[in-house]
Amino acid sequence: MVPTMSGENTVREIGHDEFDPKGTLVLILVYFGVLSVMWVFMYFVEFLGNDLTVLV
Amino acid sequence: MSEQLESGAPTFLDKFPDEAAVVRAALWSSFIALALGAVFGLIQALHRTDVLRLIDSTDYYTVLTAHGVLMVVSFTIFFLVGLFTWATVRSFDRGVESIRYTWTWYGLMVAGTLMAVVAILGGFVPQTDISADVLFTFYAPMQAHPLFYGGLAIFVIGTWLAGADYIWTWRAWAAENPDERIPLQGFMVLTTMLMWYVATIGIAIAVVAFLLPWSLGLFDQINPLLTRTLFWFWGHPVVYFWLMPAYLLWYTVLPTIAGGRLFSDPLGRVVFVLFLLLSTPVGIHHQYVDPGIAEGFKTIAMTNTMFLLLPSLLTAFTVVASVEHGARQRGGTGLLGWLRALPWRNPAFTGMMLAGLMFAAGGFSGMINAGMNINYLVHNTIWVPGHFHLTVGTAVALTLMAATYWLWPQLTNRRLYSRPIGLAQVVIWFVGMGLMSNAMHVQGLFGIPRRTAEPQYEGFDFVASFGSVSELNLQLAIGGTLLFISTMLFVTNIALSAGTPKLSGIGQPLSEPLSTVDDSPEILDNLKLWFGIALVLVVLAYALPLASIIDRGGLLGPGVDPVPMIVEPVAATIEPTLGRLAAAVGSVVP
Amino acid sequence: MNIHNYEKIWLVLSMLLIIGFISTVVYGATAVGIEMVNDEGGTIDSTALDEDDRFSEPRVEKVGEDEYEAYVVARQFIFEPNPIEVPANSTVTFYVTSPDVLHGFEVVGTNANAMVVPGEITELTVEVNEPKEYGILCNEYCGGGHHTMEGKLIVVPEDEFELGDSNDE
Ligand code: HEM
Ligand SMILES: [Cu+2]
Ligand SMILES: [Cu+2]
Repeated sequence: MVPTMSGENTVREIGHDEFDPKGTLVLILVYFGVLSVMWVFMYFVEFLGNDLTVLV
Repeated sequence: MSEQLESGAPTFLDKFPDEAAVVRAALWSSFIALALGAVFGLIQALHRTDVLRLIDSTDYYTVLTAHGVLMVVSFTIFFLVGLFTWATVRSFDRGVESIRYTWTWYGLMVAGTLMAVVAILGGFVPQTDISADVLFTFYAPMQAHPLFYGGLAIFVIGTWLAGADYIWTWRAWAAENPDERIPLQGFMVLTTMLMWYVATIGIAIAVVAFLLPWSLGLFDQINPLLTRTLFWFWGHPVVYFWLMPAYLLWYTVLPTIAGGRLFSDPLGRVVFVLFLLLSTPVGIHHQYVDPGIAEGFKTIAMTNTMFLLLPSLLTAFTVVASVEHGARQRGGTGLLGWLRALPWRNPAFTGMMLAGLMFAAGGFSGMINAGMNINYLVHNTIWVPGHFHLTVGTAVALTLMAATYWLWPQLTNRRLYSRPIGLAQVVIWFVGMGLMSNAMHVQGLFGIPRRTAEPQYEGFDFVASFGSVSELNLQLAIGGTLLFISTMLFVTNIALSAGTPKLSGIGQPLSEPLSTVDDSPEILDNLKLWFGIALVLVVLAYALPLASIIDRGGLLGPGVDPVPMIVEPVAATIEPTLGRLAAAVGSVVP
Repeated sequence: MNIHNYEKIWLVLSMLLIIGFISTVVYGATAVGIEMVNDEGGTIDSTALDEDDRFSEPRVEKVGEDEYEAYVVARQFIFEPNPIEVPANSTVTFYVTSPDVLHGFEVVGTNANAMVVPGEITELTVEVNEPKEYGILCNEYCGGGHHTMEGKLIVVPEDEFELGDSNDE
């Protein structure tokens, strides 16, 4: 086992404390936004806007 | 430059030649199933869109049964046992306890698959009475040949023994290393197999107690809602059983390929424990629009299902962060500019990333499927296959193929035949699935049904709110064709790799996590505890619904009479005792 | 266990998402009043539908002012009655069952979509408005002729509606 071996293309070793996944945070926030908007669209427009909803 | 520069390290094959042979055999079984499944998939994609109809529409259902079973039972699960054998042996760093035992469970799985496949393909041969045109869900009272149910049972027994093999290795290791934490891959294998033991209770009861004896003629009535519910008891967790190999690869192999390290080992463990706990008590979400099940039970299943999103959402973060770590170690900078620093020419990397991207989309349609009442909109429409071709059909399938490009050299000491073809293959899959799945989702919203040879009706037309049905049909057919081409490229590439020269020292050690297991509480590794809680949750979720279904319809069917016993000659000679048992059960049922 | 702050943010957002989804569904169930098909339709002996006065003669019946019940049999590979005729601006409850295998009951392009299981009666209530013709199809595989299994729901103008129309055939 080579403990930190991470490929030949490594130009610098980044340890746990020096790493903040900023890009990941941005991507995941975008995903959150997409999910929320799409959910609202699907539920309120596609579903509730549809004909013959089963009611009590 | 190249990600495959020789590291000088030994490969898995160098260290564990016997185990490598089993892994290769399991992977080959998986690829054969994939290739056959792709042929059937292509036929379906062309047939139901009326682009090209090579077969009779009645035979469409034989094809569809074969596609479903080959893909989601054989392809995925054979890969899983191969990968898990590799991961267990690799992470505990010790061979299996008995290689004969290992070959035994593999042999059982092959035998079971062959039995089921013969029963299914018999559907094409009108001269035999063997057939199993029941689709991979085999809802009673549709009946398949006993060979089909028998094959499934033997296959599942094979997987149980495989699980026991991993546990055996773990216990042997633990005896020698009493104070060590379970290595991450081993942990993932073990939690997944424990989940499998919980999940398969449902299918085992459905098949062994009801469907198999019923197909042998030991009794002639059955409670369709009961066997259907037992099917879905297993049918949801099996989804995670398909997915966990992909997660294992994303957590433990992808970071290394990206040039980084896993962001957090403890969170990976938490995620797998959550899957063990929550995968099973949710199956009723496949029955949101079923009669005979109270709305309260459906609501409970929905709530559990929604919380089951959590481990996947956490995984998205952890995996992307690990990749970002790799990109930054490779010199990537900027808020998003690091994306350019990643090894996009490596088919293993690109394939897994594209698979993950499609999983994000599939995650969304899954959230819709999970939302109890919105299920009226999509239930049993082609939207649903649109969804799961993104999840199992891509997040899993594409990850497994991509990972093979990395893993195969470790198992054979040979390079991949062609990396550029591999790269093209994963991209073609992505494009093909983008087209096919998009068309399926949109068509589903028009109400176009799944599992239908000719979704064209005499009395009405589907109303397209955007695009047109024929345009979407074409999109679906083109997508399906690309997928077929991609599959063939993959299988050919792997087969041709056998002809490349033998190398030594091409081992690829995996990088250590950034946050290691030492940061996590020991209780995480208490597998007995989690297994126990998982069982309790299942009892809580299923005891009342099952009791109510049995109370309504009886154990053996909703007929008036207390189950007439019709024992056919074959059955009478094989299993007379079982027959009497069934009669006894029948007589106590109202 | 140390969890990165960003991951904590994401954990909180994920929980919000999950709770948001559940709340939407609960809103649909309560404020909008959407009901799931459930166990209230009751059970039936699927081998003896002809002994049940609802399903021996599949039909539409008037049960109250602007309230109708449709007794529908889904069998390999037809729906009975066909077409199902109901008057505009009424509340219709479908009772659907099967004498053979599982079927689906989908009024095409609408939210009326449910499973039909032998031995069980699927009950679903919808409100129909203007006169309109809908297709009905079976969306659960039920055998070699599954793709031919279709029917019609015709919402006729109130003044043209006559009971018994639908079981003429
Ligand atoms: C070669 C690429 C593939 C093509 C062209 C393809 C095509 C299709 C099509 C058109 C259907 C819908 C049939 C219908 O409902 O009428 C279908 C169903 C299905 N596919 Fe695929 N597929 C492919 C790959 C996969 C993969 C990789 C998996 C899983 C690992 C998969 C699993 C399934 C399952 C489970 C069904 C549903 C079967 C059923 O309804 O009983 N497919 N496929
Ligand atoms: Cu599910
Ligand atoms: Cu059908």
